[in-house]
Amino acid sequence: MSFLRVENLTRRFGGIVALHDVSFSMEKGEILGLMGANGAGKTTLFSLIAGNLPPSSGHILLEDEKIDGRGPHRVNRLGVARTFQIVRPFATMSVLDNVMVGALYGRSRTLSQPKAREKCRAILDEVGLADRADLPAAALTLAGRKRLEVARALATEPRLLLLDEVLAGLNASEANDALDLIRHLRDSRMLSIIVIEHVMKALMRLSHRILVLHDGRKIMEGAPAEVANDPRVIKAYLGETRDA
Amino acid sequence: MKTRIFSLAGIAVLLALCIAAPQMLDAYSLGVALQLLSWIALTQSWVTFSGLTGYVSLGHAVFYGLGAYVMALLWQSAPLWEILLGSGFAGALLALVIGYPALRVSGPYFVILTLGLSEFFKYIVIAVEAGLESSGRLIFGAPDPETLYYIMLLLAVVATLLTWGLARSRWGAGLRAIREDETAAETLGVPVTFLKIAAFVISAFIPGVVGAVWVLRTTYFEPMQLFSPTTSFTIVTMAIIGGSDRAPGPIFGAAFIVLLSELLWARAPHVYLVILGVLLVSFVLFVPKGISGQLAWLMRRRRA
Repeated sequence: MSFLRVENLTRRFGGIVALHDVSFSMEKGEILGLMGANGAGKTTLFSLIAGNLPPSSGHILLEDEKIDGRGPHRVNRLGVARTFQIVRPFATMSVLDNVMVGALYGRSRTLSQPKAREKCRAILDEVGLADRADLPAAALTLAGRKRLEVARALATEPRLLLLDEVLAGLNASEANDALDLIRHLRDSRMLSIIVIEHVMKALMRLSHRILVLHDGRKIMEGAPAEVANDPRVIKAYLGETRDA
Repeated sequence: MKTRIFSLAGIAVLLALCIAAPQMLDAYSLGVALQLLSWIALTQSWVTFSGLTGYVSLGHAVFYGLGAYVMALLWQSAPLWEILLGSGFAGALLALVIGYPALRVSGPYFVILTLGLSEFFKYIVIAVEAGLESSGRLIFGAPDPETLYYIMLLLAVVATLLTWGLARSRWGAGLRAIREDETAAETLGVPVTFLKIAAFVISAFIPGVVGAVWVLRTTYFEPMQLFSPTTSFTIVTMAIIGGSDRAPGPIFGAAFIVLLSELLWARAPHVYLVILGVLLVSFVLFVPKGISGQLAWLMRRRRA
């Protein structure tokens, strides 16, 4: 039994097919990298798994339980949390209160506020935002907001975490810290993580396996080294070479 | 801690004054006090929904009017408190029916929709009343102003406690998250549809009862007046001026506007609305968190 199974997933927007017949599966504790040019369908895939969008056809199963078509808050309660590529902080609320929402409502459903607060402070400490817990979220830098996205998602106590370009806009040392953080999260919680990332080097180092999307189709899936040398991937990224 | 003792003492004194007021005030002043309490209750109830979720309702007059209508229809056919509760439930029920379709849209669409639905309902009541060949209903044997004052005081206190409790609760956190970013909220597990409708229904109960008490005060039910959208506009104005994110806001807002209108209506009726408009615009632009937000900010700064 796979931890997550995606079966023949298709999503159309009017006449445009954003995702076409994509299937894959992943195991518990695995870090799966999701690669593809802009518009390849990566974020659409996240929105489908997290329940923000219903699929046009196909199914998503989490430990053999069907989670497609349930709506995001129910999917979250089953243990799927995502971050947003374009960050969505609750701007006027404090950083701590942002994270509290995840703890109070997500899969963790920590109903007691003091307990939730304690838990969230620990998470903020883990992601390195502890000193900014009482600031309004609007006061955070982009790097801080990306961390806040991760902290909020973690507070829901997910089993599957979807990270959408959490490294984008970070400088080299910040990106390195973030990579360490992602590995640490996986190890400390046995989390399964799907990562969308444009920084190739980071994705190669982080992922156990990589799945490549191109124009909404899966063109290959394999170990980082295989993917990097695959002619189809090179073609999709760099275009046709003249003497090919 | 010290500020907490101060504010608790302040609340106790205020409450004692409110309870003693009918013994100290003349009939006219008691009327003003009754009006003030009703606006506090109405604005608090609006804040429990619109202040927290950011879904600005311009339709709260409909719950107020409906409560008044229920009272006008049932007066003397059941005990007073039963009709009052019935009026509240009528408001809540209407909110449930309106809420499900209306809360699917947000932003300006929701604002217009609530205003439209409230006007629509007003004309339905007018049509029904015309069909029954009734042109306004007189209410005989209404309770004395003192009784009404205490009922209204109770309503204002309950509404304030409701806002206070909700704002600090788990639901409050969910509702604020909806206000800030609905998509992010539901992705973090907040059941947004349920919470929005629940808050809307809770928020409609109080105006239903307030309307019922108010029609006993005026002893005359006339739909044009009791369903007037001016009620909704005034509620929103008070919430903006007082601050709509915490329980003291509506109290400041209602007190400010009621006092202002008392001062100006008699002396300068022509400039009253102009001044109100200028104030509203100034608050939106310069004091977006309202009087209560500004005070809280000043107090934090003095302590720091």
